[in-house]
Formats: sequence, structure tokens, C-alpha cells
Amino acid sequence: MMTVSSQVKGCFSSIKSAEATLNTLAAKTNDEEMKQICKDVQNTLKTVQLDLESQVLHLTKEEPQYKS
Amino acid sequence: MPGWLEIVIRSVVFLIVLFLITKALGKKQMAQLDIFQYITGIVIGSIVAIHVTDLATNAVYGFLALAVWFLITVGIEYAALKSKRFRNIIQGKGTVFIQNGKIMEDNLKKERYTTDNLLEKLRDNHVFNATDVEFAILEPTGNLNILPKKEHQPITPKIIGARVAPEKEPQTVIMDGHALLEPLANASLNTNWLETELEKMNVSIENVFLGQVDSDGQLTVDLYDDKLTVPEPTEKPLLLASMKKCQADLELFALGTDNRDSKQLYQKNSKRMQEAIDKITPYLQ
Repeated sequence: MMTVSSQVKGCFSSIKSAEATLNTLAAKTNDEEMKQICKDVQNTLKTVQLDLESQVLHLTKEEPQYKS
Repeated sequence: MPGWLEIVIRSVVFLIVLFLITKALGKKQMAQLDIFQYITGIVIGSIVAIHVTDLATNAVYGFLALAVWFLITVGIEYAALKSKRFRNIIQGKGTVFIQNGKIMEDNLKKERYTTDNLLEKLRDNHVFNATDVEFAILEPTGNLNILPKKEHQPITPKIIGARVAPEKEPQTVIMDGHALLEPLANASLNTNWLETELEKMNVSIENVFLGQVDSDGQLTVDLYDDKLTVPEPTEKPLLLASMKKCQADLELFALGTDNRDSKQLYQKNSKRMQEAIDKITPYLQ
């Protein structure tokens, strides 16, 4: 069974991968505006990541029986 | 000198002179002719025709006449650049045919345009109903340019309030199976990058008829062998899809939890994701 904590973990890693993709897009483009937008969105994703990370820790404490 | 030989020589020489004159008069002459350029064109052509075919004429006079007409044209164009009033006399002014959606009959008469002429010119502009036109002007060059009423103008992103990403011109980096170094450098890329991208698509450069890079560094190719399929660029749509999924997941988590702090955290971040998606969507399409 998928526990909430593993689902949140999955979401966390998806966001991490999206952030990495944005990084390569920002590096590839020649357009300054696009570069800036990529960086902005990357920063937002980073904040979301941090929040989710703390939530994952909190959940693993709450659901010790599912701890892998 | 036999007559036929003289004709050949005159033809070649006048052709070269005519070519040089046309070059010197510039691109404007090719695109649109105003009254004066129209006259000059006819006269220069006639001068050349007479002196090439009529051996009784003196070729030197022919060159002299060409030079005079060339200098007059250049002089008048220079004067027209400097003075607006002179320009109005030489090139003429546009005549307004339709203003505020109403046809100006007097102006039509002045330019000796019949209703049929007007309708034909409107149809040239893909307008079949005269009431669709807000403003129309007959340019000195004889073209009719129209401004359709707002509701008949083509939809632009601005009208529907859509945000679109700016797009720069693409660079053509492969032509006929060869990499072009200068456009590559313009896009601040190099041949190593090109090789890697082609390898990713699993094609060899010899098989590429045309390859272009857009301003986001995305390579698209057309192959000689049209039976082979090239993968479409997927990076951007995938990124957008995965961001949307994360946002939906966060919303689900928020609904699923009873813990107030957790709920708040999910909702806050779901909102953040939505804002990020809204921001970047125009750039990923």
C-alpha cells in the first residue's frame, strides 16, 4: 500500500526533477526573459521542496510502522 | 565592323550599364514605383532599346542620355528625402477612399475609380463587404490599404488577453547534410553540442536536409529520408505536465489530511505551484 509519506516523497522527487529540467532550460536558452522566468520558477520550486522535505520528516515520525 | 556584331556589342554594353544603374537606384525601385520612377523606368528602357537596335544613332549620346536620367532620378530622390513638400509633389499623397466606415465618393471620382474598381481592390484585401472597412487609403503607388473594423480584424494574443513568450529568430545550423559554423556560433552553440543532439535523435548529419535551432536551444531537423520519423521535442511539454501533476498531488494531500498544520502547508505550496505554472506556461508552449 502507498502510504501518505511515500506519496509525498514521490511528489517531492518530481518537483526536484522539474527543477533540474528548468535549470537546463535556463542554461540552454538565449532569451534573457526566458532565463529570468526559469530562475524565478526554479526558486519557487525550491521553496516548495523545502516545505515538503520537512513534511516528509514529520510524516515518517508519525508513521513509524511504515518506515522502510 | 559588321552590323550584327555592333548590335551584339551594344546590347552587352548597354545591358551592363542598365544593370549598374538599376543597382545604384536601389531596391526601392523594384518594390514600388511612384510617378517619377515610373517615368524614369520607361525612358531609360526606351533609350537603351533605341540605341541597341538603331545603328544610325550615336552610342555615346545614348550613354550621355542614360547618365542624365540617372543623375536626375538620384537628385530628385535626394531632394525628396530632405523636403516633405517636394515629396508630396513628386510622389503624390495618398487618397482616402473610406473614412469612419463611409465611402468618400468625391475622392473616388478624383482618382477616376469606379465602384467596381473599389470593390475589386477591397477583394484584393480579402474584404467582400464594404461595411467591414473602417478606413481605406489609395497609396501613391496605386495600392489600396485598408484598416478593417475592430470586430473584423484577425485575433491576436493581445485581443484575447493571452500572454505569449517572446520568440527570437531561429538559426539554421544544418543545410544539405553540413553543419554551418557561423549560425551555430550565433546561437552560442558548437559542433559538439550538435553531435550530441543528433545522437539523441539517432540520426547522422549526412541524412539531415535542414536543421534549425530556436532561441531556447531546441533542435528540429528535416531528413532526406522522409520515411524515418524524428522524435518531436518533448522536454517542455513534459516539464509542464509534471509540474501540473505535482500541483494536483499537493491539492489531494491537502484534502486527505486531518492535521491542520499539514493541510495549511499543502495548500500553501499548491498555490505556489499554481502561480509558478501560470507564470511559465506561455514559455513552455
